[in-house]
Amino acid sequence: MRHLYLLKAMMKKNFLIIWRYPFNLTAGIISIMMIFLVIFYGAQWLGGGSPNFGNTLEGIVMGFMLWMFIIFAFSDLTWDFINEAQQGTLEQLYMSPLGFGWVSVSYILSFLVINLTLTLGLFMLMMAVTGKWLHLDFFSLIPLMLLTVWGVYGFGFAMGGLALVFKQVQAVFQIFQFVWVALVIAASALETFPWAKFLPVTWGVHLIGRVLIGGQSLYSMPWTDIAFLAAVSGTYFGLGYLIFKRLEGIARDRGLLGHY
Amino acid sequence: MAEPVLVVKNLTKIYRSRRGDIVAVDNVSFRVYKNEVVGLLGPNGAGKTTIIKSICTILRPTAGEIWVDGADAIRNPRAALEKVAAVLEGNRNVYWRLTVKDNLEFFAGLQGQSLRSVRSYIDELIEMFNLKEKVHEQARALSRGMQQKLAVACALVKRTPILLLDEPTLGLDVETSYELRWILKRMAERGERTILLSSHDMNVVQDICERVIIINHGRIVVDDKIENLKRLFTASAYRFEIEGHFNQTQEQKLKEQFDLIKISRDSSRTVIEAELLDGQKVYEIIDVLKENGCRLESVGKQYPDLEEIFLRIVKGEKR
Repeated sequence: MRHLYLLKAMMKKNFLIIWRYPFNLTAGIISIMMIFLVIFYGAQWLGGGSPNFGNTLEGIVMGFMLWMFIIFAFSDLTWDFINEAQQGTLEQLYMSPLGFGWVSVSYILSFLVINLTLTLGLFMLMMAVTGKWLHLDFFSLIPLMLLTVWGVYGFGFAMGGLALVFKQVQAVFQIFQFVWVALVIAASALETFPWAKFLPVTWGVHLIGRVLIGGQSLYSMPWTDIAFLAAVSGTYFGLGYLIFKRLEGIARDRGLLGHY
Repeated sequence: MAEPVLVVKNLTKIYRSRRGDIVAVDNVSFRVYKNEVVGLLGPNGAGKTTIIKSICTILRPTAGEIWVDGADAIRNPRAALEKVAAVLEGNRNVYWRLTVKDNLEFFAGLQGQSLRSVRSYIDELIEMFNLKEKVHEQARALSRGMQQKLAVACALVKRTPILLLDEPTLGLDVETSYELRWILKRMAERGERTILLSSHDMNVVQDICERVIIINHGRIVVDDKIENLKRLFTASAYRFEIEGHFNQTQEQKLKEQFDLIKISRDSSRTVIEAELLDGQKVYEIIDVLKENGCRLESVGKQYPDLEEIFLRIVKGEKR
């Protein structure tokens, strides 16, 4: 029960802080939409298009939405660890008797709600603006999105750990934005490179493509496909969390939790 | 005396770097008893913050043991964190975009407390810290003093039996410092919490604490009640007022023979402050002054405050 009280407190805090930075939120939404429209209409103008969904306009709408969701998830912990360290509140979070692990998970869960709402809202807007309506089966889409992003949080934890020790991790962070683009695109090349399904997010993006573009439902998918996604994501999450714990230990040894 | 609620045993913290090891805390041991208010004093870099951060588990010591109300803070930090809360850098412990009330509610939640169970205590803290008029203001709009008071209230809302305060009055104006001091003093008098407080402000420590632990170069130099220290230093500190001035040779001679603290002069007289553990030395100083033709105006015991005691200890003039 105490874990739920902490989760509730974390959710309230994070909602309030986002709400009290309205300019940041609005500017973020506008810039994302602008980037999307440039990519979408640029691709349309170039006349690209093939039966493979990765290269179609529908594929661009879906790919951009998923890339956005992945970036939000990936950046949450890293930026928030940096922000909390700058504010001087990271040490206070660390002092929760429910453990920093649960504090971080609460962080993730509270931002997951925000990110999912924001991503799906923007996704609807993208489809409305471009007129490219995909198969919106939320009961299939949301569980697959959550399973896909689970592995991304492993990378978020690892980056968060790096931020605790090295502080200036923005350069690595920028590189990863492109890595995620490549991994989202890689989902369209799984037939050519089947090993790519072991990479983070590619198999998840592939399954989401089958729902959004192919019109398949989660319940009609073989359970092995979903189990494979859970196994890949779970592995990346576990590895990321182990790296984080190791780096957190170094930060505690060196007394770096309160520094920035 | 009551049972110890905080036991620090052979605590050592060494920061290792390529340039060599830095010993921040060197084999420190002390106990804090239930409802005691203990001051942790020391010059910058003495190791005070390292000790406090080790107790609240955010820093891993190199060696030693820390027991917080029976919980092993090193092997089981989560159990220890049920018992201890800390304010580490004054106003940097709160969320600036949250209101006073939001901050208090968040920190209660961080401790795993339900809002319902803590609501009346939050109201009590708002009242106690005189924050009622600012309850819906964001912390960033508060004065530094109010932010600091809020930070202490956020630590108290966790309702832990032990409270660690690292420089709680740093940068505060006199009025807010007094107000915070009064609140802490009242809490101490009511026996509500056990407090370990580090501060550079001797008035704060003298006013609130019963006992003081003085740290220098990572080691404990003194661990005693303030009253005992005052008595000890009063018993050995003397002040001689002499008419006129004496020359360099006379001054040198006195310094060689006795443990002098200070020689000061004004236009018409010289004041000698001396540390004389043996009372017989008072007569010896008077003899030396007489031999040199100095006219003694007065001799008396000196009553040093904590700041003077601290300076003498840290400078190694007293052990």
